[in-house]
Amino acid sequence: MSLKIETRFGRIRVERRVGYGRLYSISMTLLSLALAFLVVALILASLGLDPVKAFQVIFGVFMKPSLLLESIKQSIPICLAALGLSIAFKMNFWNIGAEGQIYMGMIASTGIVLLHAYYGFFHEWMVMPLMFLASFLLGGAWCLIPGALKARLGVNEILPTLMLNYVAILIVDFLVHGPWRDPKGYGFPLSIPFPEYTKLNIVLGEPAYTGLLFSILGAAAVFFLLEYTKLGFEIKVVGQSPAVARYAGIRVRSTILLGSFLAGGLAGIGGLSIVSGIIGRLRPGASPGYGYTAIIVAALAGLNPWVTVAVSIFFGGLITAGGALQMSMGIPKAAAQMIQAVIFLMILVGEFIKRYRIVIERPGASER
Amino acid sequence: MRTGKISRRKFLGVARSAAIAGIVAAGIVGGIAGYVGGSSAAPPRTVTTTTTVAGAAQTVTETRTVTQTVTGAAEPLKVGYVYIGPVGDYGWSYGHDRGRRWADEHFGLPVKSFYRESVPEAEVGSAIETLIDEGAKLIFTTSFGYMDATAEYAAKYPDRYFVHISGYRSGAAGNAPENMSAAFAEFYQLYYLNGLAAGAVTETGVIGYVGAYPIPEVVRHINAFVLGANYAYKKRTGKNIKAHVTWIFSWVAPDEARKAAIALFEEKNCDVIAFTEDTPSVLQVAEEYWKKGRKVWSFSHYSDMREYGPNAHLTGQIANWGPIYLDFYRMVATNSWISVDIWARIGDYTPYRWRRPVEQSTAGQPEGAVYLAPLNPVIPSEWQMLIKQKYEEMKELLFEPFSVEGNLGEPIKDQNGEVRIKAGERADHDMLWNMDWLVEYIEEPLPKA
Repeated sequence: MSLKIETRFGRIRVERRVGYGRLYSISMTLLSLALAFLVVALILASLGLDPVKAFQVIFGVFMKPSLLLESIKQSIPICLAALGLSIAFKMNFWNIGAEGQIYMGMIASTGIVLLHAYYGFFHEWMVMPLMFLASFLLGGAWCLIPGALKARLGVNEILPTLMLNYVAILIVDFLVHGPWRDPKGYGFPLSIPFPEYTKLNIVLGEPAYTGLLFSILGAAAVFFLLEYTKLGFEIKVVGQSPAVARYAGIRVRSTILLGSFLAGGLAGIGGLSIVSGIIGRLRPGASPGYGYTAIIVAALAGLNPWVTVAVSIFFGGLITAGGALQMSMGIPKAAAQMIQAVIFLMILVGEFIKRYRIVIERPGASER
Repeated sequence: MRTGKISRRKFLGVARSAAIAGIVAAGIVGGIAGYVGGSSAAPPRTVTTTTTVAGAAQTVTETRTVTQTVTGAAEPLKVGYVYIGPVGDYGWSYGHDRGRRWADEHFGLPVKSFYRESVPEAEVGSAIETLIDEGAKLIFTTSFGYMDATAEYAAKYPDRYFVHISGYRSGAAGNAPENMSAAFAEFYQLYYLNGLAAGAVTETGVIGYVGAYPIPEVVRHINAFVLGANYAYKKRTGKNIKAHVTWIFSWVAPDEARKAAIALFEEKNCDVIAFTEDTPSVLQVAEEYWKKGRKVWSFSHYSDMREYGPNAHLTGQIANWGPIYLDFYRMVATNSWISVDIWARIGDYTPYRWRRPVEQSTAGQPEGAVYLAPLNPVIPSEWQMLIKQKYEEMKELLFEPFSVEGNLGEPIKDQNGEVRIKAGERADHDMLWNMDWLVEYIEEPLPKA
């Protein structure tokens, strides 16, 4: 990344830091966290609230088992989508469409459940694996559309991925208002409730544990893909420079197609974790923007799969903490979200400053 | 082939990751520690009750494990609420929050209530957990989408009580645990009265409705409104009313509601519009037309919205959830919980349940759980009298909108001309809950897939 801005006072340049120490890295992260909490404390104080108590509430979320489990549950779809995004972003494929891919994953898993429940297809034990497969395929296919547009026609992926989100959301609306509506649901736009054996609770009967296992497996898969496979290497080279990739004999088009498919597929499984792990049926608005949250998570995690798991649990915790703050401190939801936003923003800025340096060149200093 | 060498850049990446992971890991370790500590800190209470039966010289000793805490004077009842929207929406969630404060005020015993607003349906589980963590004994979840999660957590926490608003699952209905009740403030009777008011003032003979979703709840409200309007308009002019419905597919969408209302006023020539949308947008649009010199009307929805349309406000439906909530507070405080499925209608939760003479009618005054908003004096007095009479009769369920009496003695037909309600019939629970047809006076068909 190189960014240059010409101003009256000189040229402002952003350049990558070439080498920095571990101590520097850790202390920058801690400093940005400290700054975040300082700003939050100032906001709370200006609202006439006790910051110490607020921090106790926020950290309490990570200390209490029931709340921590809920936080982990919330983090699963975010984590899976963010893992997919880290593949896409490594490839320089700016997928803003994880939300839509999540919805397509929900459609696919619900479709399998309905095929089984309405028409008696498949054995009970086959339903869950098929749900995984179908949500992966459909989520992947949904991301393959902008992928193909980019690979074949050179269409920038940002707009198609974003706009396909709305299409996916509307398809869900159509299905639950129409053909997939629960006949016993008094006309409410809902699918039938999922049977017990299609719930994501195979580990200790708890969706949080099961989902955590799948998050970790997903992270391992992405880590393996990016670090140990030829495809992973090709994805990274395509991301760095398509020209170099082409020169090196990498088939750029197929790499983009495959990479975007995998990215969408992971988000699709995130969709499965919502209908099968959290809600238990398909409904409109089932994902409250997890696909967008995943973008922040992937960025904060620096596209590292293992860090993604940790950061998404941290995010799940902040979602829960936002609610806990509302109740114990009586602060409005907007203020709770502002606190979350300040924390994210500070960490993001900290990461940026850690990796880049800002140079101001006064006219007549070095250039002349 | 990979060598064992790790590049400097990669090492730094790992170092940074380690920093973030460390912070989060600390939280997780703390959580596990808290789990071990927390579970040993709260042993179940064992209560021994000794009952001496008079007459027979026999003592029965009963030992039970009781997980509920007895509410003493010093320990307030803790009640948690989950809202789908912001409390400032002036519609649905605002109404529930007003109900919460009302119930707290009228409870008479120490109570501590708290709420979470704007909770997406996928996050209701985390909301319920935080409410329980805060010590809530009784939890109200106030959106249809929370129904399944409420039943799930009711099963998980058998020592807490759950009330779900606007759904159909409860212990009473047999499709949820016994510690879950269902409640709803039902408006179809009030929509019929709104319809009477609309039919009494309309000049064009065309009325409109901005509907949220084509689900039975909204469909029966539209039908009731149109039946009432037809009753009044036909009696006045001998002509059938004409009604238009626009769907906005959202409960809270001020912009969509605005656009829909403007289209109904401009293109369909409606002069009265009712709505199901959680903001006063439609009423505000109507008020703007007054400023432009056109007399059009709309209504209050869930709370008194007169201030948003001083001229355009005709009447409306208002809910006070307070008395419903208070009933559950008392049940929990006195350990007399019974799972119920409540449909509050006109006259329910009122101290004086008898119908009053028309001159003393309480129509337009706050009472009970659902009541009529103040009647605009523009409504001709003979129609005000009729509205009041029907309001009073409905307190004793003497009058039912979905009957031939509600339709000038004519059978109620749907848009295909099929008779849905014949003489001597009244809509029952299942017909109201499953209503998927519109009455004949409505122009647009019901959206179906």
